[in-house]
Amino acid sequence: MNALLIYVVSGITIGATYALIGSGFVVVHRVTHVVNFTQGTLAVFGGLISYSLLSFSIPHGLAEALAVVLTGLIGLVFAFVTIGKKGTPPLTALLITLGLSILSEGIFVTIWGQSPIAPEGLDGATIILGASIENQRLLTAGISAVAFILLGIFFGRTYLGKGMTAAASNPRAAALVGIDSRRMGFIAFAIAGMLGGLAGVVTAPFSPISFSSDLPLALGGFAAAVFGGLSSPWLTVVGGLVLGIGGQLVAGYFGGSYQTVAALVMLLVVMIARHKSLSAEEAK
Amino acid sequence: MLNLEDVVIRYGFATAVDGVSISVEKGEMVALVGPNGAGKSSIVNAISGVIPVASGTITVDGASAQVPEGRQMFANMSVDDNLRLGAWRVKDRNPAAIYELLPDLARMKDQKAGTLSGGQQQMVAVGRALMAGPDLLLVDELSLGLAPLIVADLANYLTELNASRGMTILLIEQEVDLAFRMCARAYVLEAGRIVASGASATLAADPQLSAAYLGGIEASADRKRLK
Amino acid sequence: MNPPVKRAIPTAVVALIAILIPLFLNDKTFYVQTVLSAVVVVGLSLFMGYAGQASLGQGAFVAIGALTVAVSTVSFNVPPLIALIAAPLISAGLAYVLGLPLLRLRGHYLAFGTLAVLLLVGALMGGVPILGGGAGIVGIPSLGIGSLVVTGQLFFAYLALAVLAVTMVVSRNVISSRFGRGVRAVAGSESAAASSGVPVLRTKLAVFALAGGCAGLVGGITAFFIPYVSAESFPPSMSFTYVIMAVIGGLGTLWGGVVGAVLVSVLVQALNTISNVPGTPPIVGTILQYAAYAIILILFLLYMPRGLWPTVGDAVKRRLAKRVKGSQTDYSDQHA
Repeated sequence: MNALLIYVVSGITIGATYALIGSGFVVVHRVTHVVNFTQGTLAVFGGLISYSLLSFSIPHGLAEALAVVLTGLIGLVFAFVTIGKKGTPPLTALLITLGLSILSEGIFVTIWGQSPIAPEGLDGATIILGASIENQRLLTAGISAVAFILLGIFFGRTYLGKGMTAAASNPRAAALVGIDSRRMGFIAFAIAGMLGGLAGVVTAPFSPISFSSDLPLALGGFAAAVFGGLSSPWLTVVGGLVLGIGGQLVAGYFGGSYQTVAALVMLLVVMIARHKSLSAEEAK
Repeated sequence: MLNLEDVVIRYGFATAVDGVSISVEKGEMVALVGPNGAGKSSIVNAISGVIPVASGTITVDGASAQVPEGRQMFANMSVDDNLRLGAWRVKDRNPAAIYELLPDLARMKDQKAGTLSGGQQQMVAVGRALMAGPDLLLVDELSLGLAPLIVADLANYLTELNASRGMTILLIEQEVDLAFRMCARAYVLEAGRIVASGASATLAADPQLSAAYLGGIEASADRKRLK
Repeated sequence: MNPPVKRAIPTAVVALIAILIPLFLNDKTFYVQTVLSAVVVVGLSLFMGYAGQASLGQGAFVAIGALTVAVSTVSFNVPPLIALIAAPLISAGLAYVLGLPLLRLRGHYLAFGTLAVLLLVGALMGGVPILGGGAGIVGIPSLGIGSLVVTGQLFFAYLALAVLAVTMVVSRNVISSRFGRGVRAVAGSESAAASSGVPVLRTKLAVFALAGGCAGLVGGITAFFIPYVSAESFPPSMSFTYVIMAVIGGLGTLWGGVVGAVLVSVLVQALNTISNVPGTPPIVGTILQYAAYAIILILFLLYMPRGLWPTVGDAVKRRLAKRVKGSQTDYSDQHA
């Protein structure tokens, strides 16, 4: 029972990471119809920048928040390159983000080297239901939950958020009303950057990251997002949790090396199983 | 209020609008009629600033807002949200004034725009355009796909808007009868060029014009009988 | 000289050069790998150009081809030639199975789908004993029939070249055939093609399977050329490189694939050589390998999205047209 609880909890924290990254995919895709391959890259930026800020003796809390903001700015830069030029088709944009992720890997290795890095997190553990759970994991779950709620409020209740949704829903009417779709796209990328950065900041302390972490993180996030058809943030959260918890259970009962396999299989299964509803989703 | 001088609009190598000049005075309600593909929507979109003009000038004395062809709702958003988004460019985002003008909309304010009927959506589209507080209203194909009774209601509303509030309106319409009844003055567009303009009554009475561009006198008389 | 013969001259010259080069090389590995990557890229470029989708994990099919050869010869004693023939067939089959659900969707699903398959294959190669179990598969026998066995690299150099030639001829015939007209129609406008009765999905599937088959054949040959197959041989970066080669060379054209493969291979080799010059700080190497590469890709995507071959080809055509027709501008090669 103890073991199961631990698997579930660590699954939730990993799932939260995937859900955050997945939400980034969803935000960008909903507003620009582009799939942003750099979502994993942004998570790595978040973790590495947070590590560096902490090593400059910037206090906890401030360092992480700053890292998230900086990653948001990086997302904005990526936006300029990807959708800054008018008339770039979505597939080309995807390949541009691929190029940006390769470029970023070079930056990672140049500045931070090749070895995995884990910034300092919260120490200690709390006993919940008889199992000892690392405080950092609890923090991750808590912060992620807050982030999702804020995201929901942003898109559902703020004028800017509604404007962004409108730009995606009917670009023609949005243009008539004065909404600048490109600008909305930039904001979407910035938000996605912050989401990815947050994912990296909270995960890195117990799951060291390096230049090669971007791909598995992107795939995990994409898998979560596909659960929600690349458009529903709440289903993305569900997808992330399923992926995270499922992966941990597989790792626990079948051995760690099958965790990646489980995630990849889930991604393929979801895409293939949902292909009918996904194409309906796209047609909307 | 609105002045188009020798406007030319191109899409790639095709010329959609070939040297069109139109003027609308403040407080007027003017029609722009013509068959499908004549270039009416291009002109309206150019006035709204969403497509570029290859040559010629467009001057608007103030701000314009468009009621687009096909309503163009933000389908998954509520009527209230659709209206508020109409005020994107201006400070006042409160739809209270619109609800006063169009009480029916107030009753539907929380419904998703995509679930409304065509006529209701058209009302939302008009309301949304009005939210921007425009000096010039561009109405693109008001009657498209709507039942005559509904169109009559909307037409009355717009006429009222023009008569009592002095809203300048440019009405783009395929339904020539409707356009001539609502507007005292009209331009006839065919294949990107203005082929006739002047008082609606004069235009309607010209048999050659009617036959060539306006669907014929018989057809027009038929429509009169049905109304 | 009549036009078909005239057009064949540059091809003949290139072919001649290609045939002569290996004779002057001591180590033909770079040559073989470049030519083989051209085979993969020709198929991929065709798919990306005509189906309008990207396969970010095309290496998956190369890996499957290599695995087919490795596993069947080492664990099941299948004769090498049979294994080599099986490789492209199995890869094409996998491509078909994967494409069936995914090609109906927008491009990004297939892009991630093939990537997922690539990593999955890699993970299985790392874990499952018969697939290498982390150590890789060794002891692949030499290619041959019965007692006639291949020795030396020269054979592979010419085998690769022959495969490339055949691939290009087959692809060209496919494109100019009746089926090919359907392919081109799909590339132009899917809805128009569909309403003209072109089976859009089946067309895309066929091109995808063809590309998968090319990749599988390359994997199979590679397994004989370098008789060691492991997950490390097929990293994601290799698949990304194929995409970069296709984009830079020019999507949807045969020669574009070749141009892209050759240029990028040479570029990578040059960057490697520069960064290995004694005294160069290791940072330069990293920057060159990642940054230069990525920036070139991004610049091409933004400013020369049709790739080198079509863009240069059009420029040359226009200059020739001007010379022939004087000042009369020729709009005939402007595409919608």
